[in-house]
Amino acid sequence: VIALSRIETSLGVLPVEGGGPSEPDGFRDFVEARSGALLRSGWLLTGDWPSAEDLVQTALAAAWPRWGSLTRQDAPELYVRKIMVNTYLRWRQRRWTGEVATGRLPERQAYGDVFAQVDARQALIAALDRLPPRQRAVVVLRYFADQTEAQTAAAMGCSVGAVKSHASKALAKLRGAPGLAELMTGGVAS
Amino acid sequence: VNTEGSTTEERQLADMLRRVTPEPPRRVSVEDVAFRLANQGAPGRARRRGSAGRGWAWNRSWAPVLAAASVFVVAGGSAGAVIGLASHHGSTPTGGQLNSSPPPTSAPASSVSPTQVPTTAGPTFAPERVAGGLWGAELINRQIINSDSLVGGANSLYAIADGHLDRINPATGQVVAAAPYNEPTPNPPVVVGSTVWEVSSYAGSGVVLQAYDGQTLAQVASVTLPVSGQLSTTAEGVLTSGPDGSLYVAAGSSVAVVNPATRQVIKRINVSGGPVNSVAVSPDGGRLYVSTGSVELTTYDLATGAPLGSSAMTGLSSVGGNLIATSGGVWGTVGVGMTEWVWFAPDANLTQVVRVSQGAGAGLDSVPTVSGGTLWIGGSHTLECANPDTGQKLAAAAIPTDGGVVEYFGSVTMTGGHAYAYYQDQRVNLAGVATLTPPSACSG
Repeated sequence: VIALSRIETSLGVLPVEGGGPSEPDGFRDFVEARSGALLRSGWLLTGDWPSAEDLVQTALAAAWPRWGSLTRQDAPELYVRKIMVNTYLRWRQRRWTGEVATGRLPERQAYGDVFAQVDARQALIAALDRLPPRQRAVVVLRYFADQTEAQTAAAMGCSVGAVKSHASKALAKLRGAPGLAELMTGGVAS
Repeated sequence: VNTEGSTTEERQLADMLRRVTPEPPRRVSVEDVAFRLANQGAPGRARRRGSAGRGWAWNRSWAPVLAAASVFVVAGGSAGAVIGLASHHGSTPTGGQLNSSPPPTSAPASSVSPTQVPTTAGPTFAPERVAGGLWGAELINRQIINSDSLVGGANSLYAIADGHLDRINPATGQVVAAAPYNEPTPNPPVVVGSTVWEVSSYAGSGVVLQAYDGQTLAQVASVTLPVSGQLSTTAEGVLTSGPDGSLYVAAGSSVAVVNPATRQVIKRINVSGGPVNSVAVSPDGGRLYVSTGSVELTTYDLATGAPLGSSAMTGLSSVGGNLIATSGGVWGTVGVGMTEWVWFAPDANLTQVVRVSQGAGAGLDSVPTVSGGTLWIGGSHTLECANPDTGQKLAAAAIPTDGGVVEYFGSVTMTGGHAYAYYQDQRVNLAGVATLTPPSACSG
C-alpha cells in the first residue's frame, strides 16, 4: 500500500486503511431493508434523487458509530430519520452557502398521456416545494413515514403542538396546490 | 396514518404520497456509507453542508488546489494524487474463459406494441445564453434529463428523462420523439448505427436490453440475457458498445457480448472477483475492461477471453463504475452522489491511477465522457477537456455560480461537429441541453 500523497492529505481526505471502520452487526441488514424507504422519504424532502442519496448517506454515516446503542434502544430507524430531517432543515437554512446537487428539477416537460405518472410526481414535488421546510418535514414524517405525532416531534426537536400546527398549515397549503386534489382522491399510481 | 382520529384528508394524503412517490433508481449500500465515512475522516464526524473547512466550503476550494498540483496531467502519476494501492497487475485471475452461452430471449420488432411511442413533440425555445456564456453556452432546450445521459447520434441527441427516453433535434433543441423508459441502473443510451440500446431491467435472474429505432424511438427489439451469479446492486455503466457495434453487457459474474443485428449472445466471458459494476472496450476492440468490488480493474483479451491482468485500488469502500476505455488507459469513477470522483488509470493499471476530480459535489454531472476524440469532464466547478489517451488537460473553464448557487454542466457530447452538454441552474429552475463552443485546444 502506497502512502497518500501530500495533495490528498491537504484536501482533508483520509482513506480507510485496512478496509475501513468495522461494520456494525445488523447494519447491513438494516441498510438493505430500509434504504429504499429512506430514499423515498429523502426524495419527498428534497425533490431529487442525488440529494436524497446524499441525505440518506449522511444519516447512515452518523448512525454507524452509534449503531450498537441504537439497536439496544430499538430505535435505529427513528434516529436515522431524525438525522435526515435535521440535515435537510440545516441545508435549507444554509442554502445560500451550499450547493444543491440534483439530477433533475421539480419542473419538467411531459409528452402524452403515457407520462401521467411523471406528471403526478411533478405535481407532488411542486406542491411540496410550496411548503416551508418544517411543514414539509412534518408531512413526510407523519404521512409518508407513518410516524406518530410524538415521534415526529422528537425527530424535529419540537413540541407535539408544533407538529400539529405544522401539519394543519401544510394541509391547508396542499389543499390549494394545483393538481394535488385529484391525486389525493384517485390519481395515477406510481 | 399512524394516529387516532386522522381525518379523511390526512388518510388520502398518506395514500397519495405512497402511491406517487417513485421507487429509487438505486439503493444506498453499506459500501456507500463506508466510503462517506472514509471521506469524512473519522466515523461519526458527519460532513456538513455550509460548514467552514469541510463540506461545501471545502468542495469549492478543491478545484484550484488540484489545478495547481497538475493533478489532471497523468505523466506516470508523479504529479498526481496517488491513492493507496495494492497491485497484482499481471496476475492471472481465475475464470475469464470464453464459454458457450445459453441463448438469450429475443423479441423481434413485430412483437412490440407501437402504441408506446408518444406522438406529441416538445416545444422549441429561443436559444438563451447561460453561465455567463462560458464556452459560448446557450440553452436550446428545457427538457429535464438525467445529467449523465446525453449522447450524440447521427443528427440526433438522445437523453433519458424521468420516465422516458428522448430524441432531441440538435439544431432546434426540440424533443422530436420519446418512448416510455425508466432507467433501472445509471447508463447512458448506447447508439449503434440507427438503433438506440438501453438497459430496461437489471434485477433478478435476467438482464433485459431494449432497442429503439433511432428516428422514431419505436421499440424494435427486446433481448433478455441470463445472469451469472448475482447482479451488482451498485452498477454504473453496465452496457457499452465496441468499435464493431457489438454490445457488451455486465450480467453478474460474466460479461455477455451481443450481436445487435441478430440479437444473439456471441460470447460470454466469466469474470472473477464478484459481480461486474462496469464494462468498457478498448477502441481497437481487442480488450475488455471490467470493474468489480472496490475497486479492481481486470483486462481480458476479447479474442480468447483470457484475463491479461488485474490491479486494484485499496483503502476504498466504494465501487468503481462508469468505465471509459481509450488507447492510453481507462477512466472511471468512484463513489456515489456528492462524493463521486473521477480517476484515470494509464494502461488500465490502477497502481498508476490518478485522481482527476474529487468530491465535485456534482454527482453524475461529473461522469467523464469521450466524444469527438476528446475527453470531457463537467461538474459544478470546472468544465474541462483532456486528451483521452494521456490525461493531459487541454482546456478548462470555471463554471460560475448564479447568485451563490452553483450551476452544472455535464454529459458533454459531440454530434454534427457541434458540442452539447446538460446544463442546470437550480436557483432559477433552469435546465436543459446547451450548445457549447469549446476552445480550439479541446480538439487537440
